Amino acid sequence: MDYMKFFSKKGDVRIHFNIYDIILNFLILSIATFSSVKIIVWSFFEANWSVVSKNLALFTFGSYPYHDRWRPSIWIIYLLILCFFTIFNKETKKKRRPLVFAWGLFVPTGLFLVCGGLGKYPIPISYLGGLSLTIMLTSCSLLFSFPFGIFLALCRQSELFLVRNISKLYIDFMRSFPLITVLFFGQLLIPLFLPNGVEVNRVARAVFAFTIFLSAYIAEDFRCGLQSIPVSQIEAGKVLGFNDFQITSLIVLPQAFTIALPALTNQVIGLFQNTSLMSILGLAELLGISRSLLANPEFIGSYLEVYIWLGLIYWLFCTIIAMLGRYFEYQLDYDGNNR
Amino acid sequence: MKRLFNSIITLALLTLSGCATTTPRNESRLDIISRRNSLVCGISGKIPGFSFLDSNGQYSGLDVDICKAFAAAFIGDSSKVEYRPLTAAERFTALRTGEIDVLSRNTTFNLSRDSIGGNGLSFGPVVFHDGQGVMVSKKSGINSLYDLASKSICVGSGTTTEQNINDALESLSIPYTPIKYQDLNQVVSGYRQGRCQAMTSDRSQLAAARSSFPDSTDHVILDETLSKEPLSPASVGGDQKLSDAVRWVIYALISAEEKGITKDNIKMKLQLAKDNPQLKPLRRFLGVEGDLGKKIGLSNDFVFKVISSTGNYGEIYNKNLGSNSNVPIPRGLNKLYKKGGIQISPPFN
Repeated sequence: MDYMKFFSKKGDVRIHFNIYDIILNFLILSIATFSSVKIIVWSFFEANWSVVSKNLALFTFGSYPYHDRWRPSIWIIYLLILCFFTIFNKETKKKRRPLVFAWGLFVPTGLFLVCGGLGKYPIPISYLGGLSLTIMLTSCSLLFSFPFGIFLALCRQSELFLVRNISKLYIDFMRSFPLITVLFFGQLLIPLFLPNGVEVNRVARAVFAFTIFLSAYIAEDFRCGLQSIPVSQIEAGKVLGFNDFQITSLIVLPQAFTIALPALTNQVIGLFQNTSLMSILGLAELLGISRSLLANPEFIGSYLEVYIWLGLIYWLFCTIIAMLGRYFEYQLDYDGNNR
Repeated sequence: MKRLFNSIITLALLTLSGCATTTPRNESRLDIISRRNSLVCGISGKIPGFSFLDSNGQYSGLDVDICKAFAAAFIGDSSKVEYRPLTAAERFTALRTGEIDVLSRNTTFNLSRDSIGGNGLSFGPVVFHDGQGVMVSKKSGINSLYDLASKSICVGSGTTTEQNINDALESLSIPYTPIKYQDLNQVVSGYRQGRCQAMTSDRSQLAAARSSFPDSTDHVILDETLSKEPLSPASVGGDQKLSDAVRWVIYALISAEEKGITKDNIKMKLQLAKDNPQLKPLRRFLGVEGDLGKKIGLSNDFVFKVISSTGNYGEIYNKNLGSNSNVPIPRGLNKLYKKGGIQISPPFN
């Protein structure tokens, strides 16, 4: 880094240029300008956004019955409001109660609203599509894989030989498969194993596949948290007269959760994006519905527009998830390390 | 604790094995459909002109109209269809496991899919005679397969399409470079971006793709047909009641076109049949006399229900693939036998 001293006097900090830096800067700047001008020109003058603007409802609801679209809309608005209040909530612990309660009710409300008996008739969940299906897949899979993952992580720490090793075996087994094979298993093989006449719908099968896969990873994330809790904490709990259940639920798990939180946020974002894999298995989620739309003779060939639009939606939701994760980190940060 | 855990596992295994040994019922799928009061129809959902989502969120296309005809015949209401978009990989599994009742998804009828040693399906009559073609731009000066020598050709990978073009060009010992894509829409955009001089797929799909080009008149489909692809709806094998019903609903569509019965004039024709006892074939066809419908497990007036909701075969074809539609495909082999095609229905006797 000798050349940096070329212009500097007495070693003070300045912006230093040499000929290579100038060339490099010029190159990068010109590439950036050129491509951004191209992108702007394309998106404002050449792109035909009618494929997006005409089909906003489809991207959101898929082929859900027209007159019942208010049901998933309420659900999505509920989600957005919930996210808003959570992220911008600076209240004290006690006032958070309703918020926690509302989050807990999110999936049941969704299932009831979308496929339950709210209207005069129940609507099969297989009608759901687009963004609502993506959210449904993500939230249901999370709802099931978190408890299962925590259960696995606790089993893995167990002193019982069989319990510990079965859990170990399961986790290692699941982690050695690519997600797509597990999803194929869920969509193609499970129906073959089921007895005649018994049919589990595809959304439930997808949720099942995501759950058995994701819980192995969540278990490992939780193990990080569990292992970083000093034994003295548990001993202290025992001294206070807590039983095993109380120690786990009141002392170990909350701290482990705090430590595992960044990794867990990662998993949630990953899951949200991975739901797009279901499109090659015939589920009409966000990506799947776009592919169906692109087959409409009216819109054939508008790939760029559709995929850029999809990218924006995924970006928006992943950002929301990341912000939620950061909020929880902030709230659970008892030591104040991150403030 | 350990013992408890082991016994729980044993119990779970026992329950699971119990699930696997339930006896299959000997009930026709047709009865299940009418009891459920809805038909589950497997479609592709991604093929222009055959099945795609329109902007209202409804599926439409030729394959979809065939599903509607089935629903009208089996249940009496063409709107009682639940569509399952399926990929090529899962379509047969979905049929075998009973996830769908009938498959109407651009499926080529061939021996290994029909036979018990193969996929064990039961195919209905052909609803669309397709064949593989090659599309090039007029400017390229390619007029026959021989002109394709050392050109690159865009093709969907893992399909019979890929195999056919390879077989055809290899047998003529014409060297070429295949450029493979995962699905048809990508093949099309590859061709549009100029990554290859020619693209190959079924002629119907080439025509569908071409219709979306701004310069659609600058592209031609070569005369050579590399394969025959008779596309048929399919139902599960070993269920004669359902496959008979499927077969005769399609024949009813074709037969109605032969007899000149359309969606608009069917009420008139029915009245005509009722008033004139001497019009025996028409009376049988529309279920005014005899019980042709009953014989295949449907109601006697199933033809009336089908035609009044979807129209005859020609109407379905024109609506989705006719010259005024978004995806014009010349009818060719799909014309009635009287008009130079090969679509023909056995008699309704």
